[in-house]
This record gives sequence, C-alpha cells and structure tokens, in this order.
Amino acid sequence: MSTQGVMQGVSMAYLKTIGIVNNGDNGRGFANPYDVVVSNDGRIFVLNRCDPARATAIRIGICNLEEEYLGEFGNGFGTGDGQFGLPVAMAFDSREQLYVTDEYLHRISIFDSSGTFLGKWGAIGSGDGELDGPAGIAIDADDNVYIADQNNSRIQKFTANGEYVTQWGGKGSGPGQFDMPWGLCAADGHVYVADWRNDRIQKFTGDGTFVTSFGSPGDGNGQFSRPSSVAVDADGNIYVADWGNERVQVLGPDGSFQQLLRGQATLSKWALDFLEVNPDEKETRAMSDLTPTLPPHIESPYLISSQCEPYFWGPVSVAVDGDNRLYVAETNRHRLQIYQRS
Amino acid sequence: MSNQEFALLAHLMRRAGFGATRDELEACAAQGYTATVDELLNPGDPEVMPDDIIRRYHVDQSELRQLDGAGANWLYRMITTKCPLEEKIALFWHSLFATGYSKLNQARALLNQIDMFRNHGLGRFDNLLVELSKDPAMLLWLDNTDNHKGAINENYGRELLELFSMGIGNYTEDDIKECSRAFTGWTLGNAEYMAVRAGKDSIWPYSRIAWHFQFRDWDHDEGEKTFLGETGNFNGEDIIEIIARQQATARFVCTRLFQFFAADKVDSEDEQVVEDMMKSYFDSGYEIRAVLRTLFLSDYFRSEKARYARVKGPVELLVGAIRQAGSYRSPTLGVHQLAYQGFYMGQGLLQPPSVEGWHEGMEWIDSGSLVERVNFVAQELSSLDKPGVRAIIDRLAAENDGVLTPEQLVDNCLDLLGPVAVEDNTRAALVDFAAAGGGALNLSGHQAGDAAEQRVSNVLRIIASTREYQLA
Repeated sequence: MSTQGVMQGVSMAYLKTIGIVNNGDNGRGFANPYDVVVSNDGRIFVLNRCDPARATAIRIGICNLEEEYLGEFGNGFGTGDGQFGLPVAMAFDSREQLYVTDEYLHRISIFDSSGTFLGKWGAIGSGDGELDGPAGIAIDADDNVYIADQNNSRIQKFTANGEYVTQWGGKGSGPGQFDMPWGLCAADGHVYVADWRNDRIQKFTGDGTFVTSFGSPGDGNGQFSRPSSVAVDADGNIYVADWGNERVQVLGPDGSFQQLLRGQATLSKWALDFLEVNPDEKETRAMSDLTPTLPPHIESPYLISSQCEPYFWGPVSVAVDGDNRLYVAETNRHRLQIYQRS
Repeated sequence: MSNQEFALLAHLMRRAGFGATRDELEACAAQGYTATVDELLNPGDPEVMPDDIIRRYHVDQSELRQLDGAGANWLYRMITTKCPLEEKIALFWHSLFATGYSKLNQARALLNQIDMFRNHGLGRFDNLLVELSKDPAMLLWLDNTDNHKGAINENYGRELLELFSMGIGNYTEDDIKECSRAFTGWTLGNAEYMAVRAGKDSIWPYSRIAWHFQFRDWDHDEGEKTFLGETGNFNGEDIIEIIARQQATARFVCTRLFQFFAADKVDSEDEQVVEDMMKSYFDSGYEIRAVLRTLFLSDYFRSEKARYARVKGPVELLVGAIRQAGSYRSPTLGVHQLAYQGFYMGQGLLQPPSVEGWHEGMEWIDSGSLVERVNFVAQELSSLDKPGVRAIIDRLAAENDGVLTPEQLVDNCLDLLGPVAVEDNTRAALVDFAAAGGGALNLSGHQAGDAAEQRVSNVLRIIASTREYQLA
C-alpha cells in the first residue's frame, strides 16, 4: 500500500498537527479523540472518548488552529447531566448548539458552544425514536437531526428537540441497508452514511431515499475497510476516514477516487514543548527513524501504524471547515492532522 | 456416551482448554476422544470476538497503552475462542518465558509476544526459541539491547539456558558467555529512543510506538565460539539449533509441559510418560504438538490418577467460569476489571512476578486468593441472567418434567458444571443444603429469577465453592 496516493482533481496538502497525549486527566492534550467539529469562529472541538477506567478524562476539549488550548467541558463518566458513558460523535446545529451522541447511555446531550449543558433526549429501544447504540450524528441546514442508530441498523431523523420524524435502513448489505453504521454527514440536501461493516459510503436524500453507494471491501483506491466517518466540502468533494486501512480517502462529488492520505504528522507546539524539557527523549528521537522498514510479519495497516508515528493510527473522524481545511482525529495518537485543500 | 466418557472429555477440556459447557462436551463426544485431541492440537479458525468490533468499542484496547486493557484484550480471546489450546499454550509459554510490563511499560509488545506464542507455540521448539530471541519484549526485558560486540550482557544468554531450555547444571559459565556473544546485535529498531521511553514510561508526545526486531550486523560478534563442546562461527540461530538437540532440553520442556497439562508434581510413576514425551520430541523434530499428543493419548492422562491433579491457575479458573456462564461474549463496559481480578487472585496477565514466572500448584492458594477465587466463581455461576446459567436451568427443567429431588438437583448440577466429581461427604453436604430449600424442586412453569430458579442458583453457587471446582 502506498503511503500517499496519486492526485487527480482535488488536492490536499498537509498543514500541521495539533495535539499530545493529555498529561493527567484534564488540561491541554487529548485522550483518545473520537470526533472533531469546528465552529464558525474557528474553534476546534475535540471529543475525548477515553475509557471509563480514566473517568474524568472523558470530556470535550477546545483549541484553535494556533494551538491555543481554550478549555474543556463535560463532567466525565456517569449518567448525570453533562456526563458521558461512551460518547461517539458531535454536530452543531444552526445556533451552534453542540449535540453529542452516547452509545452506552443511548442518548443525545446538548451543550451551548461555551460548554453549558442544555438538555438531553433519547432512550434505549428499537421502536420509533428509540435508540440502541447511537453513533454518528449530523444536522442539516434546517436543523433536522440524523442519527446512526448503530445496533438497530438504521438512520433516524429527528427535529432539533428530539421529536421523531422518520427512519430508514435495516440490517443487511443491500442498497439502503446497514451493518453497524457509524459516521454521518448532512450536506447539499443529502445524508451520507459511513456503513461501517459493509465497507462503503451510502448517500440518501434527506427523507431516506437511496441515491448511490461508493466503495467495496479492500485496500485499493476507492475501496474501504470499516469506514468510520464521512465529510463533504462546499464543492461536494467527499472525505472518508478509512479507519480499517488507517488512511483517509478523498473522493470527488461523484464518488470518484481523488487522493489517498496516509498521514504525515509533525511535532505540534505542545509536543515541542514536551521535548524541550525532556532532552534525553529529544536527543534519541532525533537519531531515530520513525517510519522504519519493518519485518515482513508486521503487515496490517493497524500494526504498521502502531510502529510508524507519523502515519494515521485510528483515523476515526474527518471534518472540513469553511476554509477547506480537513481535520483528521486519530484515536490512538491523541492528535489532529490538518490538511489544506489547494 | 457414558458418564465416564463425558468425565474423560471434561478432564481433557479442562487441561487443553478452559473447561467446556455441556453443549461443547456433546460436540466433542460426537467425534470421540482422539479426534477431539487432534482438533485441539490443530487449531482452525478460532472465531474469536472480531478485532474491529473490540477496537471500535474499547479505545483502550485499540491503543493498548495500558496493562489492564491489554489483559482484557487477551481475556476476550480466551473467553470466545473455539480453539482453546491455542490460548492455553500461549498461557503456558507466557509463564515459562515470563516477560512483564513493569520494566517494559509497553503492553502492546507483550501482546505481540503472546501472539507469537499463539503462532509458534505448538510448532518446533527450536523455531519458537528463535522467535523468542527476536521478540522485542524479550530483547528489552532481558537486556539484549545492551548486549554488544566486545561488551556482552549475559542476562538473556543465561536465562535462555537456565530458565528457557536446559535447566541449571547442564552448561558452564563459559557456555553462557559464548551464547551471549552469538546474540550480539539482536536488538530493537530505534533501540536507544525506545529504551529511554521505556525507562521513563513516556507516552509522549503521541502515545507509545510499537517495537520491532532489528539485526545490527556492525554490532554482532562474528568471531569463533565454543558452545556445549562445539566450535564454530555461531550466530543465535546456530546456538538454538545446538540447544534444541540436547537431552537436557527435551527433559526440561517435556517436564514443564507435563506439570502444566497433567499434574503439578511428577512422581516416579509419571517419569515414563515424560520419557515417552521426550521420544516424541526427538522423533518429530522438536514438535510441541507431537509431545502434547503423546501426553493426551497416554494411559496416564486418561486415568483416574490424573483427574484433579492440578490446582487451576487463576486465569484458568476465571476464564473457565466465564465461558461456562456465557458472559463477555460481546464488548462489555468494564471488562478491564477482569484483568484486575486476575491480579487479585495472584495471576496478573502480562505481569508475572519475575523472569521465573508464577509459582504454580498449591502456591496459587492462600487465604486471600482463595476468597477471591471462590467469590468470583460463585458470583459468575449463580447469576441467573447469564446465558450459560440459563442453559443449565433449561436442561434441569427438561429433566423429569422439571421436578427434582435434592439429590437429583445436586447430581444434575454437578454433572452440568463439569462433570465435577466430589467426595461423598461433600455431596452429602450439598444435598443437605439443597434440601434446606424446601424438599423437591419444581421448575415447571419457572420464570426468570423466581424462587425455583433461585434455588438452582444457590446450589450452583455452593458447587462453585467446593474444593473440587478449584482443581483441574
């Protein structure tokens, strides 16, 4: 597998890396980021999924492109207001209220963009409006909320207040069916679904009519292995977190393959700060090859990424901002790699 | 299928696996004892919980930075595998080639080592030793990263001979030095940076970087060496080839396999079995699979003498109870607590107490660990919401229209939890306990969690507390 693919139409250039493993449970740094969204004023919201063993690190951190850490909110692991079990994904509505899914508590929590808890809705079940493992979330221009109802193998559509509107899907691999759907994107009147265990992206109208599907299982260009997230820019270009292949793919509006990104992280400001006060690590790091030639038995993208620090490792979520920047959140490396469309 | 044949198969599955449910035993019985042995020794698709599902749910098991998540990750595999000997042999080598987190601060390297045991643990012993000598966790654990041309570090060479292959008394101090010279230059990629990070337990800036083997030819001693009376320009592979053909190696490996799979202690009568295993070792070209086949098909292993001749190790006990209860079959929040549970019982996965591994047999049992063992198993096997417990209740309900005397209730529960063979006085006490619940049990029309089911739960809890259940 090549590390950076051939470019055809759209071209993404590496810009920078933000992040570091959080030091302690709170403060600057990320803890297994699972999703990223960008507000209109350029603030970057990072969902730190972490795990219940490190309960207080489960939170949403805020930074900006200049790598200033602006704060955090969320009250760690628990069932109370503002707390999370296993949070998965985030989306802003038109008023910049932040919706956060939780696949363990089967609910949606809502915050304002300064982190004040506003409310929650959702309950476990398989009936209309009930949720079983809500994963991806997307909100369209009219504030309709779409949720990937993971274990019910369906997409559900709600009003901004959580009132059920409609649903579509069903377990399977046929057109319009799903197998553990994950990431969602609402753009240009359509809903894109990362149909995780079917290794494809499906596109629907806002009321659930199947439009088309991209991809098939594999590691070739345009093929996917467990895609977890999808984003669409203002020109309709599609960005897919090809999670199982540890890469990001860029597709044209018609789903045609454009570019492959394997990751090329550099040292963030926070990482540079760390190395400045740890000269032994800085010195030995400088003499190391962090994309080494590996023994042949280390062949899966996952294992290769565990060895090669600049590569994506757990590229779970993609997001684009209004300036055509692409943000890739990496669960296992606790950072964002940012690309700029040229 | 007679009860005796079921009991024999249950014995085999306790030793070569983690015990078996009644459904699993019936599948074994349908193909017979020898075919079951061969199936165990030749693992196919283990059908374990899929890795992508685990990693999606448990981010800690995707990153594998910490010990608890890594231990839980292995436990998932032990709990769900259809090829239990693959995990059991990995557990055996993990104890014999004991490598621990405390020095490495790199859980992934340890799990990669376990995977190597899985892949090579039933194959040729010489191949296994070569893989072990290239294993990144072992290289750092026993300081081979500090073993340089002209400045040897003997730690790995010494333990390779003493603890991993031949045993003390079968080589000289000079052999250790010459052996160590042969392994100079066997190190990690980016060894200096990785050693600094391991020493400081550094996860910064971007989490751990996994390790891989690297041979530095410029740091390898190419000179002539004399090892166990043979002279040549030996490298590590040559040294292992010489080790593998020693009688002392065959005896060491076969004895340790016997103690893990057959009986905690080897007496004079058992010596012949070990001799037969050694013959298989040489006849097969050092194949561990052949050695174990000889053991499992031996008259000794099938005899009453071999039954309950081992104390279950904590992980065997824990995994066995969970498999019987049918829990943790899908990603479960808090599974990392299971890894801690092993520590409480005295066997923390990926963290053996020293390079000598765990002291097994009766040393597993002390007043603290016994309480942990009994409490965990009793809780697991008495939980009426567990699928395996429900399956036991369904079988009981189908027996005699669900009406069971206290004797029948005890005997059926003993049967379905093993069969577990208990002493007469233990059985009598169990029957008294069952009778105290109110005469005959009537499960007809039972509802989940009702009083009738609760009586079954109580009996299962008490059986799980017996001495016999703690033995393999």
